[in-house]
Amino acid sequence: METPLLEIKNLNISFNISKNIVNTVDNFSLTLKEKETIGIVGESGSGKTISMLGLTRLLPKQAFVDKGSLQFKGRDISNISNKEFYQKISGKKISMIFQEPMTALNPVYTIGRQLMATYLFHNDVSRNSAYNRAIEFLDKVQLTNVKERMAQYPHQLSGGQRQRVMIAMALINSPELLIADEPTTALDVTVQKEIVGLIQKLIENLGMAMIFISHDLGLVSKTCENIIVMEKGLILESGKADDVLTRPKENYTKNLLKCLWSLDVDHKKIHKARTLLLDVKNISKSYQLPGSILKPKKIINAVRNVSFEIFKGETLAIVGESGSGKSTVAKIINGLTKMDSGEVLLEGKKIDSYSPLERALRIQPVFQDPYSTLNPNHTIGFIVRRPLLLNRSLSYDEIEMKVAKTLDLVGLSKNFINRFPSQLSGGQRQRVAIARAIILEPKILICDEPTSSLDVTIQSQILDLLNELKERLQITIVLISHNISVVKFLSDRVLVMNNGEILESGNTLNIINKPKNNYTKKLMSAIFTVKKKV
Amino acid sequence: MLKFVAGRFLVSLAVAFTISFVTFFFLNIFTDPAQAVAGEEALFEEIEQIRTQYGFDRPILTRYFEWLGGIFTGDFGVSYYWNKPVGTLLLERAPQTIKLALMSVSVTIMVAIPLGILAALNPNSIIDRFALSVAVSAQAIPNFWLGLILIIIFSVTFPIFPVSGDKTYYHFILPSLVLGTSSVPPVMRLMRTGLLDVINSDYIRTARSIGFSGWRLVTKHALRNAVLPIISVIAVQLGHKFGGSLITESVFAINGLGRLALLSILGADIPTVQILIFVFAITFIVFNLLSDILNAYLDPRLRL
Repeated sequence: METPLLEIKNLNISFNISKNIVNTVDNFSLTLKEKETIGIVGESGSGKTISMLGLTRLLPKQAFVDKGSLQFKGRDISNISNKEFYQKISGKKISMIFQEPMTALNPVYTIGRQLMATYLFHNDVSRNSAYNRAIEFLDKVQLTNVKERMAQYPHQLSGGQRQRVMIAMALINSPELLIADEPTTALDVTVQKEIVGLIQKLIENLGMAMIFISHDLGLVSKTCENIIVMEKGLILESGKADDVLTRPKENYTKNLLKCLWSLDVDHKKIHKARTLLLDVKNISKSYQLPGSILKPKKIINAVRNVSFEIFKGETLAIVGESGSGKSTVAKIINGLTKMDSGEVLLEGKKIDSYSPLERALRIQPVFQDPYSTLNPNHTIGFIVRRPLLLNRSLSYDEIEMKVAKTLDLVGLSKNFINRFPSQLSGGQRQRVAIARAIILEPKILICDEPTSSLDVTIQSQILDLLNELKERLQITIVLISHNISVVKFLSDRVLVMNNGEILESGNTLNIINKPKNNYTKKLMSAIFTVKKKV
Repeated sequence: MLKFVAGRFLVSLAVAFTISFVTFFFLNIFTDPAQAVAGEEALFEEIEQIRTQYGFDRPILTRYFEWLGGIFTGDFGVSYYWNKPVGTLLLERAPQTIKLALMSVSVTIMVAIPLGILAALNPNSIIDRFALSVAVSAQAIPNFWLGLILIIIFSVTFPIFPVSGDKTYYHFILPSLVLGTSSVPPVMRLMRTGLLDVINSDYIRTARSIGFSGWRLVTKHALRNAVLPIISVIAVQLGHKFGGSLITESVFAINGLGRLALLSILGADIPTVQILIFVFAITFIVFNLLSDILNAYLDPRLRL
């Protein structure tokens, strides 16, 4: 049998956190043949990235490789000196692409300079040939106007373009192994598909092996031949992508799959009684970027002449990519931003005529990031109780009853009352945020990307919770999301927004299955789903 | 880039005019220039005579534009206190202060930047602790005390440097050590935290993944980013020091702008004081402008 390109055996990585040794990767093993592609799937903290950083010697300072053997092309590379590793292996034989294209490139140097430096570091050639090589690779990653791009700085490029530059940089030395760490997670959905396609095409053309790290099982199953599933530093199972998907052995994998499937299933009732709750008429909002003496002010039209209606008890999703204006619409309804023109009627009354307190009793928000929306200095009890103190004159007992009941409603026990947000997981925090929003029994809940900073398995729990609350409390939900699966799971109707305008609206299933608008079609085709195989 | 420089230049010009206007008006409205010339004991008639003689009875705007026009033609007015043209006074005093400022900022740069870099590259090590204690001590020690101690050690006990005066560059070594030490802490801290941030950034991880390591990683990928905030701080320090350091100049008997300013204020010498304030402000503006331009040159994101 031929020697594998990469063979990792029993890799253990530990963190040294204030003198406590914590094992984060436990007996990680992997065998990768030349030109093979392996996907490592897991949620954040599963050790999927750390194990690869251990291979490429990019571990954070507190972490270290405990033991394990790393064989690259039959040679043990775990014991070679740093100097040799940096000169002969990293960037030359093994390259990496990282998650954040926005910060992964040095902001003060031109694209060209960074590409050339990468090539010149490992190749003793003239600057001229390095320049040509850089141009060649910018071409390969399908950027336009490559000559001009060379002189541009990272901030002049979009996220997708930067990730293309990153890919060019990773491939310019023709490595034999590419490690892609969530290369599309930070990008807009429509761009994601292009980038994944590009990576696949390039590694095939250049004959490279790839390790693809992702939390997205659907994406990995489309990209890789083999899959490794990790949880809490352990490899749970591995095998051919098809096998793992169709015949998962471990409960955890089944759960991951179930999350993908369950999002695929439609279980919504169309509400018959249509009572108009919120009437949004021709609202517009523009932001002005500050100018200077020589630069005219720039105006960004975030929302242009948007109208829609929300009926009692329904869930309306506003879908779009970042910059589409969906969050601005949410902010206007929430009263966090003033609109320039148009009007919003809440139960027939102009929304501006409500006092902030009255509005808060009717509309409550749940935000995206539960790590920053809860005050770390307050207990959970205080956070959930506070809206009541502001708004109602209830007795102490009544308030405590209500808090306990609300926590119970979101699936948290009474024990949480005295805990602080830092003691909670992301999912639990988001439950607290939801509890805080529903304790006033509002009519409308505005959820702005309520699950996008959570892990997949947690996501489905939060979505289940929202669905359940919807039924039990008859609450109306406005869901702001870029994630079509989430929208499909939760919402009755969908508005598709782009560049501040509504492109299309209608029944969720109609929009997803029969999109009319080109942009909507693109948006829908960009999602990777795993079809349940029987 | 040219547009950026032009824009910044215009803004600076506007600031300079505002400052000239504000200083002139404040000094001429809240004090009586005629009284100041005549002295505390002067009789009413004497004051009034001086008022007409010197033209203080004319409208303040006329006098302002006259003064401003004078500055443009190099006529800074005459000091009643020193009985000399203010321009001559400045030419006499400024070289000492400029020498001291440049030498002390060099001291700051030579101590703070290497120390900051070493501390950032070895966080929480002995070097880091050492750098931090240098910063804390430099901050805690008063200038006059350090000055005196240095004189006792290096001029009295071991007579290596002159005790005081401003005749040769030798005379400036001890004072610039004193003055330079006082700005070590902010510059060093900023260098340390700035470089630490950069080293932990994603783009440095990218550079490491390519194979860059050690000193090459720092100089080729990190330093340019980390040095950006330092430039602004050093510009401010330079601006401060061009205004003359009263205490250091006094301890070492250097005839610089700091002492000129003190004596002119005590002597109620309005022409000198207003020119000094204006000149100090202008140096600040110029250094800020230069640091903005240098920053924009180094960081493309600022060229907007």
